[in-house]
Amino acid sequence: MIDKPNILLVDDESAITDNLAPFLERSGITVTVAANGEQALKVIEENTPDLIVTDILMPVMDGRELLRRLRQKENWIPIIMLTQVGEPSERVMALEEGADDYLNKPFDPHELVARIRAVIRRSQPGRPTLAASWRLTSQSLALDRRARRVYRDAREIYLTPKALLLLEYLMTHPDELVTRERLLDVVWGWDYPIGTRAVDTRIAELRRSLEDDASDPTYIETVSGMGYRFISEVKVIA
Amino acid sequence: MMWRRRLIIAGPSLAGLAANLLIGLTQLDNRIIYLRSDVGTFVLFWGVFFSLIVWGVFKLQKLADRMSLKILFEAREDRRRFLRRLDHELKNPLTAILAGLANLSISEHQPTNGRHLSKERRNTIKSVEQQVQRLSTLVGDLRKLADLEIRHMEFSSVNLTEVIEEAYSVAKTLNGAENRNWSYSIPRAPWPLPVIWGDRDLLFLAFHNLLDNAVKFTRPGDMIELRAFEDNQMVFIEVADSGLGIPDQEIPHIWEELYRGEAARSIPGSGLGLSLVAAIIKRHNGQVSISTRNRQGTKFTIKMPIKEGGRK
Repeated sequence: MIDKPNILLVDDESAITDNLAPFLERSGITVTVAANGEQALKVIEENTPDLIVTDILMPVMDGRELLRRLRQKENWIPIIMLTQVGEPSERVMALEEGADDYLNKPFDPHELVARIRAVIRRSQPGRPTLAASWRLTSQSLALDRRARRVYRDAREIYLTPKALLLLEYLMTHPDELVTRERLLDVVWGWDYPIGTRAVDTRIAELRRSLEDDASDPTYIETVSGMGYRFISEVKVIA
Repeated sequence: MMWRRRLIIAGPSLAGLAANLLIGLTQLDNRIIYLRSDVGTFVLFWGVFFSLIVWGVFKLQKLADRMSLKILFEAREDRRRFLRRLDHELKNPLTAILAGLANLSISEHQPTNGRHLSKERRNTIKSVEQQVQRLSTLVGDLRKLADLEIRHMEFSSVNLTEVIEEAYSVAKTLNGAENRNWSYSIPRAPWPLPVIWGDRDLLFLAFHNLLDNAVKFTRPGDMIELRAFEDNQMVFIEVADSGLGIPDQEIPHIWEELYRGEAARSIPGSGLGLSLVAAIIKRHNGQVSISTRNRQGTKFTIKMPIKEGGRK
């Protein structure tokens, strides 16, 4: 665990970096700022940060290209992407191409701090993060993210696309309290007040498929009134 | 392409016209021809003739429909583009303002040169923060609506009875629901409601919004009824109440985003509930309609096609 994490904030909008950087500094995070992907790559060459927070739409080199170039070079610096509400393609792209998390603009800055800390806590320097890996396993469960398949004891189990998205998010964020609102956003791209019920229904469906007992869970634990937590250790299948 | 077809169609008429002019001008042998026909052929001829005329009228009507549909479609497309741009232009300033405010309020907890911000200033920051949040929610909500109209849907079989029952039981826990007079009728005999093809979460949201409205726009003691039934092709879901009703002049606007009627001004809400219902039902190839009388009550009717083979 790093005491004072060192992050790189990439956004072309100086109004955002000017206001966000001092806030993050005051929250105990060291911040370097870059205005686009190309500048970010230069900064990374000189001094590797613990994490990158990047916007998507930027001139010269956008966030998506930045993410791709880093992952191609097998650079596994954790990345949080700043996406747009109701733009499911951005969210799906971010998660599929190996970003560690995403946050919809406009966001609560305190939420960003919480996410930065959670992602850094999970990451192990120099090794691919769970989010940047295609195949994950946890006890008798295996998830092939590229093929969108789930196996239990080497036997395939069939999940609806939404249940699979939930499982994927939970498995790439293990040991983290994931709120129902967050899960709703993962599945839908946006949340709505009554929608958290839909998340509960999906989780129940997922538990049935995984044969996970809600009162004595192996995988998904209910955090009463808050959300869910994936409690089993997740490893990368090489 | 279009012109060639028109020429082919108009060809015989033009040839006739030309011959007529020629004969008229030259006074050449313009005698009257008598055609003889039996009654059967005569009737058949007129029958075919009228069929052709009716066919032509339909064809024209379809063309006109297509044009007006296109205009409607373009208007919707414009609005969607506008919402996208609005959201896009607002998200960065809003993010910056939220960050700035967070920065201000955190600096107050870490006093530099030994002085705290006054309570009054702290309250000001809090209040501005809340208003920015409100603005962010509003922009986000509009964006969701636009997204709902175009997003890719993953439909599956939906057990309507289950969704309706769930929406009903949730509605009865709403604020004020305890002193409404509820009634519920869903067929079980001779068979239950059919399975329909759709998105369960969205249908639940649509039913919920209608029931939520019913609770909001009724007074203690008023009735709220939820009914569902079917005919051969369609399933109907009705949410009726003996509440405030909607004045005539407001009815055309109730489906519009952010529209809030006179009665709704004192009641909390986003002004998006019914727009969401309309968008959701439309994506399910259904229709939603309203009949209402001011001060007497309102009935919303959702009509949705039954999935092929949905009746088991």
